[in-house]
Amino acid sequence: MERIKTGIPGLDEMLGGGFLPQTANLVEGAPGTGKSTLGMQFIYHGILACGEPGLILTFEEFPQQYYEDAANFGWDFRQMEKEGKLRVVMTSPEVTKTDLEQVGGRIQQLMYEIGAKRVLVDSLSHFERLSADPAQLRSIVYGFVNGLKREGLTAVLTRENAALLGESDGSDDALTFLVDSYTLLRYVEIESAIHKALLVLKMRGSDHDKTIHQFEITSRGIEVHAPFEGREGIMSGSPRRMVDSFVQAFVRR
Amino acid sequence: MNKKEINDRDLDLTGRLMADMNPQLLEFLQSKVNSFVKWDLVRFFHDNPHTTDTANNIARYAGRSVDAIQNELLELTQDGVLEENRLGDMVVYSLSPDRDLRELLESFVKASDDRQFRVKAIYHIIRGTRQ
Repeated sequence: MERIKTGIPGLDEMLGGGFLPQTANLVEGAPGTGKSTLGMQFIYHGILACGEPGLILTFEEFPQQYYEDAANFGWDFRQMEKEGKLRVVMTSPEVTKTDLEQVGGRIQQLMYEIGAKRVLVDSLSHFERLSADPAQLRSIVYGFVNGLKREGLTAVLTRENAALLGESDGSDDALTFLVDSYTLLRYVEIESAIHKALLVLKMRGSDHDKTIHQFEITSRGIEVHAPFEGREGIMSGSPRRMVDSFVQAFVRR
Repeated sequence: MNKKEINDRDLDLTGRLMADMNPQLLEFLQSKVNSFVKWDLVRFFHDNPHTTDTANNIARYAGRSVDAIQNELLELTQDGVLEENRLGDMVVYSLSPDRDLRELLESFVKASDDRQFRVKAIYHIIRGTRQ
């Protein structure tokens, strides 16, 4: 089966080779965990290694910020824009949604102009201001996601989670039913140091790695390492060594 | 020469010194970017050439109130710098796709990086708003 590679060492293996084509892939995490970096790397790899132009729809950050962040990893987004392989579009959810519903809207024009195959939507959380009603919000996001798929795009959609460590902040989980894959990025405290964990929770239509992996943001972008070993409760943010849990359960009675 | 004549002569000299810039940019400045808010807006659209958005959102991006930018958006649209379109029930603004206009805007923003140019541009905007 054809796969859309992210180009992130370790992640493509976890995804069984990459995302499935024309799918919506949600990446959720706390501030600073690397959601936008993951999305930018997906776009960069598509342009550089796969000849797949990309579009970045940003609802908060200015394009300048993406150029600068990308440059820190040695990715020349400005040049890619000049070459017509990338468009960084600052817009708002309401305009994007309505524009995508039109025939021949500006976003569609931009996609056709560069032949976009990949899109980063940063972030889906901003759609929440369009409706306080979860059912209506779900319907809005459903239409938006389908609009992206209709255009033949493979999408990475980021979503913010305010919880720095531990349980989710209670964001609307209904949205996770609308997407084809769901990847969680988490901070984890181990022996007084903060590490980062990545877990692919869901991947529709494909098997995937279910273990929790450590990852790092290096000077080359995100690198996913081996799974956490000998620990449990990783996603709680405060994992215990499995031997301690064993002692607690069976020895110190 | 009386005091008024001396003052007029000095103003005229300053005006000539301040007009010492690329005539196209001077014309652009005097006829289109003739307020500080418009300067902010054209700079914003230069940096975000693919942005299409409502006055409310553009105001938010520019860190201004919608009241402060609404008329300026309309005037920039009338002057052909921006385009106004209807999207559903929203009125949205975007940068004109006109190639010559975009090249002129690029020259204007590049020139604005120079302090001398900025001083002259500020002079013309202040003078323009007083007239």
